[in-house]
Amino acid sequence: MIGRMGYEHILVEVEPPIATVTLNRPKVLNALSPDLIRELTGALSELDADGSVRAVVLTGGSKVFAAGADIGDMADRGPVDQLLRDQTGRWAPLAGFSKPLIAAVNGYALGGGCEVALMCDLIVAGETARFGQPEINLGIIPGAGGTQRWPRTAGKYVAMETMLTGAPVTAQRAHELGLVNKVVPAEMTIEVAKRFARQIAEKPPLAARLAKEAVLKAFDSPLSEGLATERKSFYFLFATEDQKEGMHAFLEKRKGVFKGR
Amino acid sequence: MKEMATEVEQHIDVETEGGIGWIRFNRPEKMNAIGALTRRQLGDAIKQAERDDAVRVVVLTGAGRAFSSGADVTEMVSGGGMRTPEDVGNVLRNEYMPMLQRLRTMPKPVIAAMNGPAVGIGASFALACDIRIATPEAYILEAFVNIGLAPDGGVSWLLPRLAGTGVAYEMFFSGRPLSAADAHRLGVINRLVPADRLEEEVRDLGNQLAAQPRQAIAGAKRAVNHALTSTYEEAMEFESYLQEAQAGSSEFAAGVQKFLESRRKK
Repeated sequence: MIGRMGYEHILVEVEPPIATVTLNRPKVLNALSPDLIRELTGALSELDADGSVRAVVLTGGSKVFAAGADIGDMADRGPVDQLLRDQTGRWAPLAGFSKPLIAAVNGYALGGGCEVALMCDLIVAGETARFGQPEINLGIIPGAGGTQRWPRTAGKYVAMETMLTGAPVTAQRAHELGLVNKVVPAEMTIEVAKRFARQIAEKPPLAARLAKEAVLKAFDSPLSEGLATERKSFYFLFATEDQKEGMHAFLEKRKGVFKGR
Repeated sequence: MKEMATEVEQHIDVETEGGIGWIRFNRPEKMNAIGALTRRQLGDAIKQAERDDAVRVVVLTGAGRAFSSGADVTEMVSGGGMRTPEDVGNVLRNEYMPMLQRLRTMPKPVIAAMNGPAVGIGASFALACDIRIATPEAYILEAFVNIGLAPDGGVSWLLPRLAGTGVAYEMFFSGRPLSAADAHRLGVINRLVPADRLEEEVRDLGNQLAAQPRQAIAGAKRAVNHALTSTYEEAMEFESYLQEAQAGSSEFAAGVQKFLESRRKK
């Protein structure tokens, strides 16, 4: 295992073919400060470019995922300050991450923390997990995609309740709503997420990447456009070595070895 | 002045002895009716019992002849924080719900020592405990219908699971008590013991459970609570992950060691 150095607010462990990024400001419930966001998005950009990494787990550790932004830091800011800082726009490396990204959520995922989880591709929740957007209690609204990703996942009415009351939902409820893939004992959350990551990392990476892209397209475009994207990617994959390997391995009843070419 | 005099009343008696945290309804002159002050003190006692590491088993019981006769109806009609129908709902949602949920989810065994009748919300507390030990004089009464109310305090969920829907409906519809003997026969009450031996019996069980591996017990409670709201498959999967965590614990290592040593001695 290689721990990447030089981060103050996060931990990055690379265990090829997976990597784990841990938000690491436990004293402030992993509040998403500008410095933390800079480190997180920087690390993700690096991992996106790292050929040895095929899937990434994002977690806040055993107690809390992230309880939102640094309110102390925002209280007296004006709109221009906020725009110039463009904190929400800086999430692009997360939202646009090309490899499968799995959130391992224990405890609170609130506000920006919840939005970060919703930007991931799978969510494994410990039984202690709570998802919510309490921004309304502070006179603002979610600013990193919450109002858009909640309704696309949990539907309009659940999203409205979440945004308008600010009340969080439990792990079990989130599971019923299709917001999380699995609810597991809290001490196993990160491990189960890593297993998901390893399972996915065994798949042909180009297919995984295009599958992810195509699914995300469904949230973003009319059906015809999504279908066109899917079809083009489908044809394109026949140009890859991994498709040849995958199909021949299947016919020869052996396990494929994929190179990402 | 009146306020201050009310404050010093101890509606709930709390005592930790060995690893057992005793929480006792302590209004024997009112058959342990639960009023606003009782609720506040009971909530604190339950919270404290959950937090206190020295408490490994919690016992809920009553002083005098009753376990608890339920809500203090005199307060419901003459104030005490419940003047409107909405107040009734709010007390259930904001006060009773968190307490009852805490009993069911705290990571330690909770035993109801039913020294006498458990009525209405009092029965809800007895049924929310993990294990019930009762004297023959105890009974469970879902008295709500007798004053024109529907069941509350979680019994619509608990009682059908513990006694079956037929028994639950009969109790809810008729407002007639389920005797300790019948409750024992149905498995709602784990053990029946004579009144003069109740405390001793509960203490013995409490001591025994207090000596068990703490995390393993908490795991059993987490697994059952998870299973009660999930499918067979989901429950088995959750169990498998819990077991994985437990199999890596010092409790398991010590347990296996002890097991092997006891075999060698034989």
